Amino acid sequence: MVMFDVPPVLLIAFPLFFAFLAPLIYYLSKKSIKFYTLGVLILNAILSYFLFFRVMDEGVVYEQLSGFYPPVGILLAVGYLGSILAMLINTLATINYVSFFDEKSHSLRFSMLYMLVTASSTGIVVTGDLFNMFVFFEITAVGSYGLLASKGTKRSYEGAIKYIVLGSIGSSFILLGIATIYGYLKTLNFYDIAARISTMPIEAKLMAFTFLVIGIGVEAEIFPLNGWVPDAYQGASSRVASFMVLGPSKAGIYAIARLIFTLIPFSDGYELALILGALTLLIGELAALNQKDVKRMLAYSSIGQMGLILIALSLHSQIALIAAVFLIVNHALAKSLLFLGSRNYASGILKNPVIGASIFIGALSIIGMPPFPGFWGKWYLIVDMAHNGLWFMISVILFAAIVEAVYYARFLFRGTGNEKVTLLPGEKIAIISLAVLLVIIALFPFLLYNPASNAATSFLGGGP
Amino acid sequence: MRKIIAASIAILVFVVLAYFFITSSAPIDYRHGGYYENPINHEQYNQSVPQKYLNGTRQDTGASNAVTAIVVEYRGFDTFGEVTVLFTAATGIALLLEAYRRKMERVVESNFIVRIASIVILPFIVVVGTYIFIHGHLTPGGGFPGGAVIASGFLLMLLVKTRKGLNEKNLTITESFAGMTYALIGLLGLVLAQEFLQNYLPLGIFGTVFSAGIIPLIYIAIGFKVGSELSGILDHLKGVHSE
Repeated sequence: MVMFDVPPVLLIAFPLFFAFLAPLIYYLSKKSIKFYTLGVLILNAILSYFLFFRVMDEGVVYEQLSGFYPPVGILLAVGYLGSILAMLINTLATINYVSFFDEKSHSLRFSMLYMLVTASSTGIVVTGDLFNMFVFFEITAVGSYGLLASKGTKRSYEGAIKYIVLGSIGSSFILLGIATIYGYLKTLNFYDIAARISTMPIEAKLMAFTFLVIGIGVEAEIFPLNGWVPDAYQGASSRVASFMVLGPSKAGIYAIARLIFTLIPFSDGYELALILGALTLLIGELAALNQKDVKRMLAYSSIGQMGLILIALSLHSQIALIAAVFLIVNHALAKSLLFLGSRNYASGILKNPVIGASIFIGALSIIGMPPFPGFWGKWYLIVDMAHNGLWFMISVILFAAIVEAVYYARFLFRGTGNEKVTLLPGEKIAIISLAVLLVIIALFPFLLYNPASNAATSFLGGGP
Repeated sequence: MRKIIAASIAILVFVVLAYFFITSSAPIDYRHGGYYENPINHEQYNQSVPQKYLNGTRQDTGASNAVTAIVVEYRGFDTFGEVTVLFTAATGIALLLEAYRRKMERVVESNFIVRIASIVILPFIVVVGTYIFIHGHLTPGGGFPGGAVIASGFLLMLLVKTRKGLNEKNLTITESFAGMTYALIGLLGLVLAQEFLQNYLPLGIFGTVFSAGIIPLIYIAIGFKVGSELSGILDHLKGVHSE
């Protein structure tokens, strides 16, 4: 296999450059813009594969920027989890973009925002600098506001406005947290902060931790900061909701993981994450049970899954972290599949066998049926909890799984109404490719297990 | 014909960029023997960042404005991101307001004095804005305020010429070229020096306009970009067809 030593910065600089170039291409030929965007996304996905294999080869990949050694300059540090997520986000964004291909009035601005948000979500997972992460959070958030409102209906505006309010407040809290850390430690580099964090007074440390959790929690859909999620996902078109699930929310959960493992690791933080995770899981799943609208139900279910991932992260053991990686990958694949297919639920899944089967696979994986990745995630998680004697948490997770099974079964078999919807060819291609990816991971779980295990070791050692 | 041109431009840029930057990426040992992981144990990596910024600005970057040196050189990648934040916001506004563009129904013409005065003032506003971003490495200011000043000039034009909007296409193309210039200056650093956004031009004589390496170039690009972006936002908010 041909290998290139891809500098991680290209994953961010290329799509940004091509997003700047997009208007020129558009003014030359209006029709070619979607092929152009697809080409950019494919190029970025290929770069992310090279980066992934490079990380698997030589461990954490570092890159200094602007010619200054850290902490003076900015350092990019791509760890195992970062490279897995970069690959995941770029691949799935490419697949998801195919579903937009039939849009009649294909907009230049939409494609630009799509590229920008993909690039910045990748930026969050490859960076090794706190303020740099904040900058990418800003791009992700601002781009998402536009994407979520792009449907142009009342509901989409409502959801986007809620996200704008919460997101701006969250951003200010992240900035406050960064200012606190910088004020005490005079550094912004992740490794440098981790090395000096013990010299910070405990009150300041708690303050910074709380601010950062509040800020990042908005993006990572953690209770009680996720009020925007149901409205925004319900209002947005199903394809945009699918993109939000696979890109920005994954970057958010990665930032939470960096925060509680690398940046400010202390035992109360883990406990807080466990409690928040359990609350997020229970509230998300129970709220999903009552929903009449498919997208709203999927949004609440998405919140529940984020809670599950947070629980897995908070246990800070090797197996639980592997479980977390499986759950993240599972959620990105299966939930974006379900969102894409949500328009098809209306007539029940039995009308269209191929799409129906794909959606069925997605639902099974989310519920946690063997042999899909969702099962492996929940299984490793429960094994680890049994090992630690957390029987109460096990019962919470199993209860949530049963609730999930109930509402998914209701929607899959009964359908939601009598309106007749036909999926566009692009959407069908995207749904089927996602289902194929799920099946591949189900058949060969070791493909994901080995990188996940490396990621867990690296995270427990305080790395990226 | 146009399609063919567009396709060939896109493909050419893809291939050139991909080939050039991937194969010529500098073969540095990025791992530095674990220095990054244990910054506190190595003298070079263990130091107070603010002190370094204040003491090293002149030697490292050749800029006499320390804030500019931090913004464009030391933490240049963050600024690259911040420029993109503004770009994203402008794109989002354009996406949402495109649907609402319509002719204004009641237009009040501005009077003669305002019209003539605006013609007199506008060149000065543009000159001041340009001065601010060209001298970003010497005096307080830089690309962002300079661009905002220029945009205020365009705001004046919008207020005076009520019937016509600005030419959206030209604004977008300016914005696009400025953004690409910034990205290319950074990417050239990867090829000519070793790192993204690293300086590869001579530092020049301290305190003159032609000094500080790539900083003035970047600030000029940012100035054009911010100016055209803010003008574009104002034009969109006005809600008049510009075609």
